[in-house]
Amino acid sequence: MSDASGDDQQPSREQTVATNGRVWAAVVLAWLIPGAGHFFLGRRARAVAFLALVAASAAIGLALQGKLFVVVPEQPLSRLGTLASMGMGPLYFVLRFVVDYQGDILAPTYEYGSAFLLTAGLMNLLLMLDTWDVAQGFKR
Amino acid sequence: MSHFLLMVVYALQVSLFFTILWRRGRRAQIKLFLQLFLGLVGGGLLVAWLMYPFPLGPPTGPAP
Repeated sequence: MSDASGDDQQPSREQTVATNGRVWAAVVLAWLIPGAGHFFLGRRARAVAFLALVAASAAIGLALQGKLFVVVPEQPLSRLGTLASMGMGPLYFVLRFVVDYQGDILAPTYEYGSAFLLTAGLMNLLLMLDTWDVAQGFKR
Repeated sequence: MSHFLLMVVYALQVSLFFTILWRRGRRAQIKLFLQLFLGLVGGGLLVAWLMYPFPLGPPTGPAP
């Protein structure tokens, strides 16, 4: 008897799958386009602001000829930098494999550009985590 | 381009991002934004001032 009342508190399998699907869709969207996860969850004003901030960071980084991290086996920390940069989403792969962007190490703004590019990726990774929290109901 | 200007732009962007991410309500947002922005710019200037006595690079001598 008590089992029946306990089961009432649990979401059905269909409900769980639907919820999980929504959560994952939001997170994947957030990676594909910065802010898209929030937009999908109805946080539209925030989504526009996040898109503008991440896009501006990436654009400034590119304008300053910053470094786009790639894995260098002799430099273990380059793995972390690459992972962080991949947070930018498809833009990272377009820059690396389509445009063959490498930055300009001789540019006086190279280090600043690298910081902006890395920050764009890190910000979007945080947005993905935030999207997860919002979709799960942990955050408004 | 001025390094200071780039630092200010970076601080502005990061402060705005975390303000929108972490706070709801105008007053709380303004408060956090000012804390982050002034902390980043002020902290950068403080570190720059502390590093001022240190040399910029390896010593340069007369060419052999």
